[in-house]
Amino acid sequence: MTQGDTKKVSFFFQSVKDVFAFFFSLVKKVRKTKIFFFISFLPVFMAFIVKFSQIFSLARNIEGIYIFNNMIMTFYMQFLILILALFYGTSVSSEELEGKTLTYLTTRPVSKSAIIIGKYVAYTGLVVIMTILGVVFSFLVLNLNELYELSLYQILFRDVAVLGLGLMCYTAFFTFVGTILKRSIMFGLIFSFGWENVIQYFPGSTQKFTIVHYLKSLLPSPSTGRFSFLLFRLEPSSTGNSVFMLFLITGVFLVLACVLFTFKEYIMED
Amino acid sequence: MTAVIQTQNLSKWYGNVLGLSDVTLQIEPGITGILGPNGAGKSTFLKLITGQIKPNIGRVMIHGQKVWNNYALFAQIGFCPEQDSFYEELTGWQFLTNLLKLHHFSPEKINEKAEKAMDIVELTKDKDRVIRSYSRGMRQRLKVAQAIAHDPNIIILDEPLNGLDPLGRRKIIRLIKEYKGEGRMIVVSSHVLPEIEAMTNRIILIHQGKIFAQGDIHYIRDLIETHPHIISIKCSHPRLLAEKFIRYDYVLKVHFDLQKKSLLVETNNRDKFFSLLPSLFRENHISVEEITSPDDNLQAVFDYLIGK
Amino acid sequence: MTIKEKGYTHWDGELRDGRFPWWPITRFGIKLTFKRKFFKFLFALTLIPALVWLVGIYISERLEDFSFMVRGDQTDFLNVNPSYFNTYFTNDFLLFMIIMILVFCGAGLISDDLKHNALQLYFARPLKKKDYLFGKAAVIFFFLFIITLVPGLVFVIMKLIFAGNFKFIISYPWLLLSIIVYSSLLTSFFALYTLLLSSVGKNRRYVAILIFGVYIFSDIFFGIFYGIFRSQYFALLSIKVNIQQIGAVLFNQRTPQDVPWIYSLLIILGMCVLSGLFLNKKVKGVEIIK
Repeated sequence: MTQGDTKKVSFFFQSVKDVFAFFFSLVKKVRKTKIFFFISFLPVFMAFIVKFSQIFSLARNIEGIYIFNNMIMTFYMQFLILILALFYGTSVSSEELEGKTLTYLTTRPVSKSAIIIGKYVAYTGLVVIMTILGVVFSFLVLNLNELYELSLYQILFRDVAVLGLGLMCYTAFFTFVGTILKRSIMFGLIFSFGWENVIQYFPGSTQKFTIVHYLKSLLPSPSTGRFSFLLFRLEPSSTGNSVFMLFLITGVFLVLACVLFTFKEYIMED
Repeated sequence: MTAVIQTQNLSKWYGNVLGLSDVTLQIEPGITGILGPNGAGKSTFLKLITGQIKPNIGRVMIHGQKVWNNYALFAQIGFCPEQDSFYEELTGWQFLTNLLKLHHFSPEKINEKAEKAMDIVELTKDKDRVIRSYSRGMRQRLKVAQAIAHDPNIIILDEPLNGLDPLGRRKIIRLIKEYKGEGRMIVVSSHVLPEIEAMTNRIILIHQGKIFAQGDIHYIRDLIETHPHIISIKCSHPRLLAEKFIRYDYVLKVHFDLQKKSLLVETNNRDKFFSLLPSLFRENHISVEEITSPDDNLQAVFDYLIGK
Repeated sequence: MTIKEKGYTHWDGELRDGRFPWWPITRFGIKLTFKRKFFKFLFALTLIPALVWLVGIYISERLEDFSFMVRGDQTDFLNVNPSYFNTYFTNDFLLFMIIMILVFCGAGLISDDLKHNALQLYFARPLKKKDYLFGKAAVIFFFLFIITLVPGLVFVIMKLIFAGNFKFIISYPWLLLSIIVYSSLLTSFFALYTLLLSSVGKNRRYVAILIFGVYIFSDIFFGIFYGIFRSQYFALLSIKVNIQQIGAVLFNQRTPQDVPWIYSLLIILGMCVLSGLFLNKKVKGVEIIK
């Protein structure tokens, strides 16, 4: 690597860092973010309701960790992270086009790839924080009586890691979708709640064409009976393979998004 | 003088709609006005030279480098777009400083440059208000501020005076002239002719995607041989003067304005006509109140060129 | 001779309000929706259940010709009765597709106007707020009636035509009224629901996600709370289940959940009223920025 190349790389990372700082501070101020924060904390309120009900014997005495794994985690993994990733992932490019603010970024000495990566990191960071805070608080509330059990924290750490990987991967995918499609939300909804759900019912290798397959492969198989309908016919991949695939999917879609954003011409209507 | 911006056969289509057609020109340092009615192709041209859109045919170069995807060039370029759009949740100060961060200045330099830019556009008092609460004029001034804050050598302004009050316009025009004095290059587009006239004599006329003329406004005017010059003379004996004029073959038409006691003369040789006037006035004892050239301005030039 | 000066002439005619001031808004909204790419495809998909049910009505009158397709005497599912209609109107696929239609055609109804500051343009015309809101709602009525009311009426008509007698309508004289009431209630609820969410933001993508997300999340919360508390009253949290409860009552069927249907009706009506109040407050000609 020549000195010129090193300089280019360091310039690129500096640009990514500057774009990240800009948009991370911007997105925190937006009202939509506050609403999404509220939504991601709904499971915490649910956890409080369940806990109070159990204390006053209004609800069945189910173990907190069971509720956490089978309900709270299902809510986050099958719905919330999809919604968050869809909105913020597509926002990486779409909001600049819709708001006609792209010009301000593309007339600065930063590469278009740095804009995409910087915004992606900012938005992924935000949704990860949103989700982790909700998950951790729900966990703490539901397992109030067992907080001394260290083994439970392993489960929490595993679940947080899986959700983080899921957000990273889905946001990258939707970042790509946002750069290529105008109607990215429709496609995103059909993908998230159509493709990702339906394909899980298909046996064999078909499941490997979804992101949720690799996420669920990182979680233990559910007990049969209650809630197993959510995980029909899961033929899990190995942990190493799943993590590798998630990172690979993230990398591939981010690179594609960068390439597309760099070479595609975006015409903003006057 | 070496051209800074060069275009060669530059053409752009939006589907079936022609945006710009076969534009080959060179823009040198100083102030260049891009003039044309709405929909002429001014914004398309500016977007092409700032790399916002790609040409379908031809190329555009700044300092000998291609513009498209050449982000390094933008360290020296400042662009004020036409559309009124911002990150509405930010304050003016945050907007400016965040954009300056993308130029990799140090925090001290960012503050210094942002303060200077805010001061120039007179937004210092309102810098901590959210942009959503800004008036139209304040938004326009903020746009200009973000284009000049990083001290670029090349400043490209797309309709920079839109939404500004007369005092604001004067200030921006003065600023643009100051920048010219500092050796920077400014390209300004407008559809308001007096604005361009107030800033520069060097213009590029665009209409329906084509360049009609480029150069000094007076030079362009002189080139239009097919369209006669019109001179208005207010005097004591207009009819007598007209009788003298019609003997000369370079006087093409004479109109009388009875109310104003003046006559309008069309001539295809302005120099000869003006050299004739003093002797005619003297010999015929005609007292002259006023001589003007109503078509020696941008509007007239433009109207002639687009065939109105 | 009088010289008539061609000056300004006052018009002596009468100034009247347009009879349907909301109509241009509705017409434009429908036109704009049809212009969107893929909408026609999506709308056609939404009509698939109607087609399937219509074929079922045809088959029900020609059972002997299709008996080879059915094992034994299992022809109960082809009985065209109020339950058949209830199954059409409350099936999950139809409700899901209604939400997708709303995401497509409803998300931008008010949010685009807020984004482009167009409300000032609307209210600078002789247009009242109710006309504006009704005009926007009518866009949704148009599309949802095509999916609900029109197929329902067509099913009844085709049943009568295929049967060749009026026995069906004589057996269930209230069915037409049920179809009209259910379709109207469903459409009004979804119109107000969509307009409420559309007025919340200026970003169409965000509104689209809200329209979809609120609907889905309400169902998820029901599932989670039911799983813990095992109480069917949590069904009142789910928009989908409330609609299905009302549908079942209107078509004289057993409600899917063991919860008084009146609660579901009150919740749906309550949401409609709250949406109306919020919209009335939110839709203004001038926005005051604090």
